[in-house]
Amino acid sequence: MASVKFIINGQRKEVDVDPGMPLLWVIRDYLGLTGTKYACGISVCGACTVHIDGDQVRSCVLPVSAAEGKNITTIEGLSENNDHPVQKAWIEEQVPQCGYCQSGQLMAAAALLEKNPHPSDEEIAQTMGAVLCRCGAYPRIKKAIKRASGV
Amino acid sequence: MTVLSRRQFVQTASASSVFLVLGFVPDTRKSGNPSFLTSRLSDVDLNQFISIGTDGQITLFSHRPEMGQGTYQSIPMILAEELEVDINKVEIRPSIASNELYGSQMVVGSRSIQTEFDKLRKMGASAREMLKQAAANTWNIDTKDCQAVDGKILNKNGDSLTYGELVAEAARLKPQQDPPLKSTSEFKILGKPIPRRDIPMKTNGDAKFGIDISVPGMLYASIERSPVFLGQIKGYNQDEVLKIPGVKHVIETKRTVYDRERVGVAVLADSYWAALQGRKALNVQWDNQELEQVSDATIEKDSMEAAKNAGDELFGRGNAGAVFDSSEQVIEAIYQTPYQSHVPMEPMNATVNIGDGSAEFWGSTQNPNGIRSFISGKYGIPEDKVKINYTFMGGGFGRRSMTDVVEEAADLSKKSGSTVKLIWTREDDQTQGPFRASSMNVCRAVLEGSKVTALEHKVVAQEIRNQTGDNMTAGHQIMGGINTDYTIANLSVRGVLRKRHVPISYWRAVYHSTNPFAHESFVDELAHQASMDPIDFRLQMLDHPRFVRVLEVVAEKTNWKGAKPEGVGRGVAIAERSGAHFAMVIEVTRQGDTVVPTKITTALDLGICINPDTVRAQTEGSIVMGLGACYAGLNIEKGAVKQQNLNTYQLLRYDQCPEIETHIINSDAPPDGAGESGLPTVAPALANAIFDLTGKRIRKLPMDLKA
Repeated sequence: MASVKFIINGQRKEVDVDPGMPLLWVIRDYLGLTGTKYACGISVCGACTVHIDGDQVRSCVLPVSAAEGKNITTIEGLSENNDHPVQKAWIEEQVPQCGYCQSGQLMAAAALLEKNPHPSDEEIAQTMGAVLCRCGAYPRIKKAIKRASGV
Repeated sequence: MTVLSRRQFVQTASASSVFLVLGFVPDTRKSGNPSFLTSRLSDVDLNQFISIGTDGQITLFSHRPEMGQGTYQSIPMILAEELEVDINKVEIRPSIASNELYGSQMVVGSRSIQTEFDKLRKMGASAREMLKQAAANTWNIDTKDCQAVDGKILNKNGDSLTYGELVAEAARLKPQQDPPLKSTSEFKILGKPIPRRDIPMKTNGDAKFGIDISVPGMLYASIERSPVFLGQIKGYNQDEVLKIPGVKHVIETKRTVYDRERVGVAVLADSYWAALQGRKALNVQWDNQELEQVSDATIEKDSMEAAKNAGDELFGRGNAGAVFDSSEQVIEAIYQTPYQSHVPMEPMNATVNIGDGSAEFWGSTQNPNGIRSFISGKYGIPEDKVKINYTFMGGGFGRRSMTDVVEEAADLSKKSGSTVKLIWTREDDQTQGPFRASSMNVCRAVLEGSKVTALEHKVVAQEIRNQTGDNMTAGHQIMGGINTDYTIANLSVRGVLRKRHVPISYWRAVYHSTNPFAHESFVDELAHQASMDPIDFRLQMLDHPRFVRVLEVVAEKTNWKGAKPEGVGRGVAIAERSGAHFAMVIEVTRQGDTVVPTKITTALDLGICINPDTVRAQTEGSIVMGLGACYAGLNIEKGAVKQQNLNTYQLLRYDQCPEIETHIINSDAPPDGAGESGLPTVAPALANAIFDLTGKRIRKLPMDLKA
């Protein structure tokens, strides 16, 4: 067991857990923030994507010890009122079906647009091609990102 | 059915027939967590679907669990249409799980709208008529002079009463069993692309899935099972595992999949991570016997041998055999499809407490009442003491219609005395199944000029409903998706049943996900053999109005008769699933050394479209899943699935998804199923397009796209 401190969605937190435990399970099971999802556990699908110091990170393979002192944002902290540009675009384009992967999709899209407000199709494909959706919401994700980026 | 459930409802309700639903959790209103409790104390239920508060708040209950298919919205849309209320102002809530009140709540086979449409309209209309009668009584006039408009009853004098003002009186009235229904031309809600109410809670992390459930004092569980499906336990390392911090129990358990028991060793711990660490240390030794000899090669060899048998005739018209016997040239082709995994993004999980005389389930399921009766039957607990708390599902695709995971969690709860949250890993989900069946399809035909005089389609496959035992008679289930509407005089559909140790189950579109690949590819081969345009070739064999119409529309929208652009291949396919008729054209081009689809155009007729935007979403989703199944499949090696996770079993990605254009035919016919019907045509239309571009005929999935 080890004590790990970080800031998550603007709040200081300290947890006492196995330092090798992936951040995903700390976020979900110890902090109760269940919007971040487990789906593959090997950093392939992107459902567990969070932001750490502004970068998108797959929390299912990141040991919690690596989050020491970092600033973490989860889907619950992306906006106060579900009104981040990607959230508004996702609702406008009616993207989610089952919705399970969408936290990861939104966090990946938000991180992309933060760094590159008007990405090209290729740049969008590079980021979003790494986040899987079994329901097949891809055509709508494409429209929503374009809407959010004002293209 | 409708009448019965209403009577039952009224009997269940209190003597005054005002059914006050007790118990409420305020925060469920905000989060939309299907938290299983109905309404506020001020709410009055007019029936099991409609509750109206004396303050005017209208709550509509959606009784089918939501896995992405959109019935969370489309069920209340049907109720609201007849009730005459604004769908965007009502509260939408999941209903409780109750056979007595709702009949089946199982979400399978794209059936929820098909089977519930009439019932839901009557429920809405009946409540509306009760409100009208209440107003008529108040004003002492005839109901004919009352009109329901947007949550109010109006009369000719310009008076109006809100539903909230009328509900207490209305609830005292006897519901009409056969209320007047609106004509389709009067619909204000149905047929409109109304935004789904579950979507905002799926963009901010609010929506709760089974895996998000937390119950005080619960233990987390993970189970090690043999990668070879029927392996037996020889031994494992219990003592070391129990020393791992957080681990509480090591318990042998089992689940039943279609009459076969599959054993495993569970580790229960105070965190999921600790349970996983314990599981890694178990080091279970398995006795897999001769099953390790099974591989793709042995399965294919078995199918090839079995295909020599005549099999059982599942559909027959004319005498195809006699035509084959007397013909000099019989065209034959063999098509193969692999096992597929469902891969709902939410791995299988269940949280269960088996108590003394009562039990509770929390989780994502396509079959809430099935779980209730399973637990009741297994533990001898009356059904009314088994509480089912169903949540949103992170995908289902058929996998969540089964009770096997609940069986494991219940067993572990009973044996440990704790509430147990069992979570399967992705590897468990990927390697344990049950899977979509693999198949071999043998197609034969005789052509005279451009006319098909005889066609035989033989399916060699496992059948979901007949996986064990000695009965080797193939059932009709395995002929799904074979088009008997082609007006071929001599047509025979045959099945040869195989039984294997690889477990299979329902997967989106079921046998419609495999047979049409063979059937519509073969029809395309015949068209080319006859030197005919593939659409004209199909049309000359069709008098089914829906098939003709969707083919004509898709031809028009793709400019099929016009000049084809340089470097583009086009393929067409048609299929029926869940009553819905689809035609699809796929365009492909070369990119580097591979062929890729660039555009998919589909025309569909599924009767009345409740929410066209949901139908479009389901069509897009079916196409994406169907395309993924063209590119990837499971391999069986040494009796087990080779692909352990999503790095080797690759789902379709964003950057592989072509443009999709969906054309919905307007119709007044009763609604058919939308959830799977876009899938069957994808593989054959793509294979036919690749042939058009490259001359290479693909008869085995997954496809080799190198060209």
